[in-house]
Amino acid sequence: MGLGFAIGVFGVLILFHAAYATIQYRGLLKITEEEFSGPPMNVVAELLLGLFFCMWAALAVPGKFLSIHPDSEENRIVSLPANLDFMIFNHRGKVFPGQMDLKLRH
Amino acid sequence: MVTKTEDNQLNRLENQVDNGGGEAWEYLCLVRKLKLRRSEKVLRHGLSILNDPKKRSSLGPDEWTLYEQVVVAAMDCQHLDVAKDCIKVLQKRFPESKRVGRLEAMLLEAKGLWDEAEKAYTSFLEDNPVDQIIHKRRVAMAKAQGNISGAIERLNKYLEIFMADHDAWRELAELYVSLQMYKQAAFCYEELIISQPTLPLFHLAYADVLYTLGGLENLQTAKKYYASTIDLTGGKNTRALFGICLCTSAISQLTKGKSKEDKDKSQVQSLAVKVLEKDYKQRAPDKLPQVTTALKGLTLSS
Repeated sequence: MGLGFAIGVFGVLILFHAAYATIQYRGLLKITEEEFSGPPMNVVAELLLGLFFCMWAALAVPGKFLSIHPDSEENRIVSLPANLDFMIFNHRGKVFPGQMDLKLRH
Repeated sequence: MVTKTEDNQLNRLENQVDNGGGEAWEYLCLVRKLKLRRSEKVLRHGLSILNDPKKRSSLGPDEWTLYEQVVVAAMDCQHLDVAKDCIKVLQKRFPESKRVGRLEAMLLEAKGLWDEAEKAYTSFLEDNPVDQIIHKRRVAMAKAQGNISGAIERLNKYLEIFMADHDAWRELAELYVSLQMYKQAAFCYEELIISQPTLPLFHLAYADVLYTLGGLENLQTAKKYYASTIDLTGGKNTRALFGICLCTSAISQLTKGKSKEDKDKSQVQSLAVKVLEKDYKQRAPDKLPQVTTALKGLTLSS
């Protein structure tokens, strides 16, 4: 979690630096009076790196992935709930009284 | 629905609570969430919380939920005096509550005073004719009196109004099975599979019913549903694996002589046998020889 977050912050910083470098580069072009045809190589590399780091952070920070397979341990259903709405009290438990000392005391 | 992870968690908590390791409230919450019937344990541990004023007040408003849970558990264990005391406490806190009134009617049911309980439920239904739980209680009451066909009649009437209630469909299927009316039960299970197609246990129950009905066509359908159960559980349902083996041998007995698709069938069966043997070797090695001979008998007869 901590590592993922740090990587995310680092990725955002790299993106900001890429933006700053682009602005600087355009300023330089204005001075030398050349046409802007595309960002320089180092900015492209920074963008790709920033994208990768941000993506990493977005996948790692929010939490664990849950399985969507019906046969995984988290999703595999082993028993149904007892149908409590249709519960009846007229069963064989009636014949076997349990502990007798149970009492609500207030 | 109880998944494997929840089942493990429940077993762990149950062990811990039974050995006096605390976390009784967490256990009771889990039982309530999973809608399980552990009446004896709920009664014991719930009462021990309710009898301890410090623990009880620390629950806050959940205290009343616990009272309700304990009332139902006490009725299930025939500790009617405990149930009565708890209902009295609830009544003092919530006078004129329908929910408490329902508990009182259930207490009449537990005492076996059917006529009075029926009267109470009818008066509830006059106030609110679409109260689903009351309708279900009336069905349960007919069942408790041994009047299964009456229960089925009431449940069918209920399902005409509340068609999406899958718990009721399940109850109806089980009632039909108990009367050996398998065709009607199969219809109910079809309904359940449509409403919850990813639940392997309904596929399994449907296959069981079809296998019991017999006949070539039903057996073939049953085998398909056993296969879909295996698909949905990742091959961890032993009953479905045995079902495949039984279906295959029954089908081949019926189609003896006209052996056309034998190859495909025996492959599914041999795979199921392999998985079963592996499973038994891992979990119950001392029963492996019995299983192997039984399965061999099935393959030989087919």
